[in-house]
Amino acid sequence: MGLKDDLDRYREVGEERRQDLAEFIQYGDLGQSRPDEVQIPIKIVDLPEFAYDQRDMGGVGQGEDAEEGQPVGQPQPQPGDGDEDGEPGEEGGEHEYYEMDPEEFAQELDEELGLDLEPKGKQVVEEKEGDFTDITRTGPSSTLDFEALFKKGLKRKLAMDFDRDYLREVLKIDGMGPASVFEWARSENIPVSKAWLEEAYDELSSEEKTEWTSMDEVAENVERQSTADRIRREGVDQIPFRREDERYRYPEIVEEREKNVVVVNIRDVSGSMREKKRELVERTFTPLDWYLTGKYDNAEFVYIAHDAEAWEVDRDEFFGIRSGGGTRISSAYELAATVLEEEYPWSDWNRYVFAAGDSENSSNDTEERVIPQMQEIPANLHAYVETQPSGNAINATHAEEVERHFEGSDNVAVAYVSSPEDVVDAIYEILSTEEVEA
Amino acid sequence: MNSDRYEAKRIAEDLEEPVDEASNLAQKLGLHPYPVNYWIVNYDEMNELIAYGGFQKRYPHWRWGMQYDQQQKQSQFLGGKAFEIVNNDDPSHAFLQESNSMADQKAVITHVEAHADFFANNEWFGMFADDPDAAAMLARHSETIQEYMQDPDIERAAVEKWIDHVLCLEDNIDQHRPFAPVEIDGRDEVLDREEDIEDLEEKLDELNLSEEVVGQVFDEDWLEAQRDEDGEVTFPDEPEKDVIGFLRQHGMAYDRDAEKAVTMTDWQREILEILRREAYYFAPQKMTKVMNEGWASYWESAMMSKETFAASDEFVKYADHMAQVLGSPGFNPYKLGLELWQYVENIENRREIVERLLRVEDITWRNLHDRVDFEQVQELIAPDSELQNVSESLDALDPEDERIDADALERARAGEFDVEKYPWKVLTYGGLAERHYSLVEPQNRGFVSRVGQEELERVSRYMFDDSRYESVADALEDIDYARGWDRMREIRESHNDVTFLDEFLTQEFVDENDYFTYEYTQSTGDYRVTSTDYEDVKKKLMLRFTNFGKPTVVVEDGNYNNRNELLLSHKYNGVMLDLGQARDTLERVFELWGRPVNLKTIVKELDEHDIEVAKRRDREPEPEEQGKLVRYDGEEITTRDLDWEEVEHLAATDVDYDTKPDEWLA
Repeated sequence: MGLKDDLDRYREVGEERRQDLAEFIQYGDLGQSRPDEVQIPIKIVDLPEFAYDQRDMGGVGQGEDAEEGQPVGQPQPQPGDGDEDGEPGEEGGEHEYYEMDPEEFAQELDEELGLDLEPKGKQVVEEKEGDFTDITRTGPSSTLDFEALFKKGLKRKLAMDFDRDYLREVLKIDGMGPASVFEWARSENIPVSKAWLEEAYDELSSEEKTEWTSMDEVAENVERQSTADRIRREGVDQIPFRREDERYRYPEIVEEREKNVVVVNIRDVSGSMREKKRELVERTFTPLDWYLTGKYDNAEFVYIAHDAEAWEVDRDEFFGIRSGGGTRISSAYELAATVLEEEYPWSDWNRYVFAAGDSENSSNDTEERVIPQMQEIPANLHAYVETQPSGNAINATHAEEVERHFEGSDNVAVAYVSSPEDVVDAIYEILSTEEVEA
Repeated sequence: MNSDRYEAKRIAEDLEEPVDEASNLAQKLGLHPYPVNYWIVNYDEMNELIAYGGFQKRYPHWRWGMQYDQQQKQSQFLGGKAFEIVNNDDPSHAFLQESNSMADQKAVITHVEAHADFFANNEWFGMFADDPDAAAMLARHSETIQEYMQDPDIERAAVEKWIDHVLCLEDNIDQHRPFAPVEIDGRDEVLDREEDIEDLEEKLDELNLSEEVVGQVFDEDWLEAQRDEDGEVTFPDEPEKDVIGFLRQHGMAYDRDAEKAVTMTDWQREILEILRREAYYFAPQKMTKVMNEGWASYWESAMMSKETFAASDEFVKYADHMAQVLGSPGFNPYKLGLELWQYVENIENRREIVERLLRVEDITWRNLHDRVDFEQVQELIAPDSELQNVSESLDALDPEDERIDADALERARAGEFDVEKYPWKVLTYGGLAERHYSLVEPQNRGFVSRVGQEELERVSRYMFDDSRYESVADALEDIDYARGWDRMREIRESHNDVTFLDEFLTQEFVDENDYFTYEYTQSTGDYRVTSTDYEDVKKKLMLRFTNFGKPTVVVEDGNYNNRNELLLSHKYNGVMLDLGQARDTLERVFELWGRPVNLKTIVKELDEHDIEVAKRRDREPEPEEQGKLVRYDGEEITTRDLDWEEVEHLAATDVDYDTKPDEWLA
């Protein structure tokens, strides 16, 4: 025991208490995480106690020129107890972070949402040796399959063996000689050689040669023994190993296919995409990215921002951009098609094309251009996420049109997100659409 | 000796002089600390000590792991800060981190000396024991609990859970009463009766009656009836604040398999007692945090900057460190403590000046502000320059002067120590008080002149002999420079945070240090500044520091409903409980009582409509106060409304912690 032990126990307790994943996706602070490491805040694992209601308690602050009615932001750290010797001013650390890698995240989300997305291997990255399941007749001695050799030898022994004692008795029958016994043995399928019989016959005394009168008498008086029984009783003293029985194990050649994925994130950045809509997109796309990163061996991301025009951006900028112009969603798909064609051939890559916006589009663009484009770009999944915090705007029909057209399709999903509560459902909707296909 | 130890030893040697001299200086300044043993530790050991609350051995528990983890993360981000760890023990033990700079080490040492003085002299620390023997006690506790955890007959997880349950109640003790172990011999009637019933059940078992007979005749109701026969028993007589103590005495454990309460095992009882003892041991520290930290910071600053305990090259680092500690944003109890002590010193010193001035002929409380030239006062109260520059005026100092330590003066003149480095050695307590006189500090220059009419009148009311001096100069000739310090030491003896704040937090202080209160406002959905009035600030601070900043929950009845249920009551002071936590806590209490547990409380209810209206009208809604009974029977939590009569006795009528102005946002 000791502090090390206490620390381990704390980690265990902390693991149990971290924020529920669904809750985290809906309301958590996603910004603390990096693409390769998901950080889920956990409430400091402390024990419950009788305490005041924080809101009802109010507090004391310090600062110049405070005036009645002025907002103070979050409650300032207050002197707590329990840290008898800590330094001041650092008591407000409300959240610890629980770190997950994307694999763990994907696994947890599978469990939580009951998903079962099985990523497909695409590009052949290399041929390599698999299990040693093939067999050859030659090879290094370390790969010799001794078990097979022993079995063959044993079989051989069994096949060559015969009941010597019994045959000796048969030779003692009056009137039977090596030649007649050999004939008989042949008919009985006893693998005895003539030479052995002659030798054995010579060893018999003349009295013995007439001990029995008939075959039947021998059968009555002498117990015949099977080879198996004898081996069981006396053990195997010698197994005849033969060169021709030797078998060497050899590895199978397997094709390793890497599970590659490219995720295209498309976002409407036009003037109508206000802060709340933007946030909802981030909330939906980020966990999707993590999930797919966790599911596939190799994940790459393409970020496309568009208003009436489309352009490629970095992830850092992607969720923050705002522009003024109108909206033409097809511009984004045009760009997506080009990028995918050039850099991520369908034969080698799993493709996900996710677009999000408030469903506003220039007239006829959806019908005439976007829908055909979606059909033409081969992908595991196309999705459109409509983020409309305040119900539907007039003319914002992109999502509906897409949904209507692709109804029942197994590679197009449409999800509606009007508040953080809808995010988990949307993610489920999107990821389970492909599941059907798989 | 390996190189690490060698390094530690070298550091220890370097620190020997500062340690000795800090102790000497502390004595000279009027402090009476416990002797302090200093230990040099490395970074990891330091983090461990911090996690363990300043001690080397604590019982196994994940909480220390949590603190260690936080500690490490903090120091990762904030760089290796100089931590001061000193524990309340006689002798005190303090720990110095070997990688700290000399400036930091000295700051820690001076800080520690002041803490050790506080531990030794504050009465609240005597509540636990005169000689706490803390390190040994905590190590003993650690061993006992470890043994239980390693006992093959006891599940380690069960022990951990039990500790968790008890820790939920660690603040539910009666910290204003001296600690005494729970009496086990004076066993309670009810408890005995409980055992009788158990005996009865056993006897029934021995009779070997068939299931049917037992079921029909001696059923639960019958057993229950045996219990009730003597009529109602209500205990405790008075509501009991020491909830842990009460549970220790009357509580039972709950056996999930048997689905009934069973007598606590020895280890359960002992752990309860151990954790209760630790709660009492740490209570004084929690009750005096503001004062104690302020006290240490005050004297640290006096020794480090005014007595240049830090060499000039170290001083920049030291100032940097102080700025970091005190400059952290938000509300900071260390800073509040330091500011309050400085304020106490200033008002006491000002009081001395005012009392002298009011004794000058023709000066009364009405005309003092007109008659007195405060510029002149500042000049007159300035300490003698000889005291300011001891080393330069060594020859001029008079050994007969009571501000001079004649002995030390002689040694200084003989060159036995470096006066340049330790000028204070030549001075007595009185001399040092003058040398450190607060009212001449640049930041306090206007302090005397700001004395209010009201205060003047109050002082003069009890004044006799009011024409003793002919002039302001004569009057100020007589001022007692040590009055501030004398008073501070008195206060550190008898006060705790609550009384300290109550007595010394004034409007002047609040204005000078820019304190304000804030509340959550329903109409805006956020926290807003509500007041800068000292009464309001005081209210909120009292709420933070009274009863460790926790609501008062007492045992009201240990035989509630005459069914051996536990009834806890929340003494409602206008601020409601965090109900979520209260429910969770109640579930833990069940484990220590073994039978259903109840909690009476009062909550404030607001309906959505009122909030909506409030938002539209920019006025705060008036919440409805409603009595509630929360009950946990081992399986589920239920909450039901109570009539006002049932909770009326819990509601305090004489306090109001609400600082929202009446005309809120109007």
